[in-house]
Amino acid sequence: MHRAGLSPVRVASALALASWAGLFWFLIGSGRTSLYLSSRTDWVVPVGAIVLTAALAGRLLSLRTARPEALTRREALAIGLTILPVVTVLALPPASLGSFAADRRSSLASAGFSGDAGDISSGEVTLVDVASALRSGEGMQQLTKRAGAEVGFVGFVTRDPGMPADEFLLTRFLVSCCAADALSIQVRVVGAPPGRFEADQWVRAEGLLYPLGGEVIVDATLVEGVPRPDRPYLNS
Amino acid sequence: MVDLARPAPPRTGSWTNVLLLGGGLALAALVLRAIDPGRIAGLQNFFIIFGSLLIEAVPFIVMGAVVSAGIEVFVPARAFDRMATLPKPLQLPVAGIAGFAFPVCECGSVPVARRLAAKGLSPAAAVTFMLSAPILNPIVIASTYVAYRGRDTLWAMVLGRSFLGLMAAMAVGWVVAGRSSSEILRPRPDEEHHHESGPRWSSFAGHLAGDFLFMGRYLVIGAAAAALLQTFVPQSIIGSVADTPVLALVAMMGLAFVLSLCSESDAFVAASFVQFGVGAQLAFLVFGPMVDTKLGILYSATFSKGFFRMVVLVVGTVTLMGTLWIEVLVG
Repeated sequence: MHRAGLSPVRVASALALASWAGLFWFLIGSGRTSLYLSSRTDWVVPVGAIVLTAALAGRLLSLRTARPEALTRREALAIGLTILPVVTVLALPPASLGSFAADRRSSLASAGFSGDAGDISSGEVTLVDVASALRSGEGMQQLTKRAGAEVGFVGFVTRDPGMPADEFLLTRFLVSCCAADALSIQVRVVGAPPGRFEADQWVRAEGLLYPLGGEVIVDATLVEGVPRPDRPYLNS
Repeated sequence: MVDLARPAPPRTGSWTNVLLLGGGLALAALVLRAIDPGRIAGLQNFFIIFGSLLIEAVPFIVMGAVVSAGIEVFVPARAFDRMATLPKPLQLPVAGIAGFAFPVCECGSVPVARRLAAKGLSPAAAVTFMLSAPILNPIVIASTYVAYRGRDTLWAMVLGRSFLGLMAAMAVGWVVAGRSSSEILRPRPDEEHHHESGPRWSSFAGHLAGDFLFMGRYLVIGAAAAALLQTFVPQSIIGSVADTPVLALVAMMGLAFVLSLCSESDAFVAASFVQFGVGAQLAFLVFGPMVDTKLGILYSATFSKGFFRMVVLVVGTVTLMGTLWIEVLVG
């Protein structure tokens, strides 16, 4: 018979559970969930935090055993691999998808988003309305009736090669679930102060809206730098 | 019973490995800080996609591990005997429809299916359940409905997805039928740790942690592969084949494989591919929850050699044939 001792395997697995539980609590406390998930799915973070914490409690209460299992180098590496993403999220500065992703996801942007075209005809025009308009002929017709409407959009700056210095694309991502399914929405801002805004800089552009052909143009009356919003992605 | 004698010592080096694990992770954090991936757009994009896939999937993995551990510890082995008494033609449809009662996405269903097969449920039924649950569960049906609400193709998408998903899952189950769990399941080297003596809750905690860590490591590899593909393969390549009949379906299946989206949200992405027809969008929605980058890694770790290849072939064929018919009838 042996006295119960600490098991290295159980200690290592507790470390993994603690890391992930800690990450989810950190996401809740820091508000960084919105950099990764949409508001539709961000409930998984508190659920994950609670379930992982309960699992950790169970593991901590059973750390001791009469036959402590050995932790091989290979198992340690495998557990390290499981914890590595936690390290990456915590070690990296908070960031959201930017112009690099906008370039890569361009086909999704042109495909647009399945919104309700009926919402466009009244009220304030939003970037989600623009996405709906870009998607469907009916939506674009609705938006065309709003030509000349005053709008104010917040997004980050992206530029196409050869764009005039006083133009840029104001871009925002629309997320259904997580950043992996982000679709970009873009409007062309004309009449911006030349050279004042860099790629990926968050700005607010105010002006008059003009849907033209397959794109939407904002003739800017004001463009100013703003901090990244707490929720950088729009939700579908 | 515990006495005052010395505990059986773990093998030499065990605690050194624990320390190496902690030290290695601290070093990784320092290296990441030094590199500062925020300066490199591609790297930053990779880490955001990678993190988002994991943050979304890990809670489902851990919930799947809870169910899996519960089955192992609290469900008697004979509980699945009744399933075996069902007439054979009914076993697979019942297993497939049982997925309706398991509202988690694909990551959570893999450990549960593995546990069900290890516990005595026929592997064919376990695999059918595993593949159908991510498509047939009520959350996925509701999200598909919401994504296509207001379109002419609403019911073609909602019912077509459920029907084809069930057919593809049953087809894989049919191919697997006759194989034993030892033939289909890959042995897990860490499994011996899980048979922990002591009270049931302790055993439950052991199984839960074991399943989470086992699935978690492969999920990390799969998410990394998906993030790499999403970061460095332009999606415009896919859009260029939208008007080519069969190729459009295959392209959308390929895209579903690459994106590795959660089945509870993929309908919103599929609905945005308006340049593709109803068949191609349906192919995306049926194929993706059963076959994608991260699932490929999970299947390869859970099931025997050749299983993943077989799933790709069977699900791909059923999806292609089914969506071609739907394209003809509805498109």
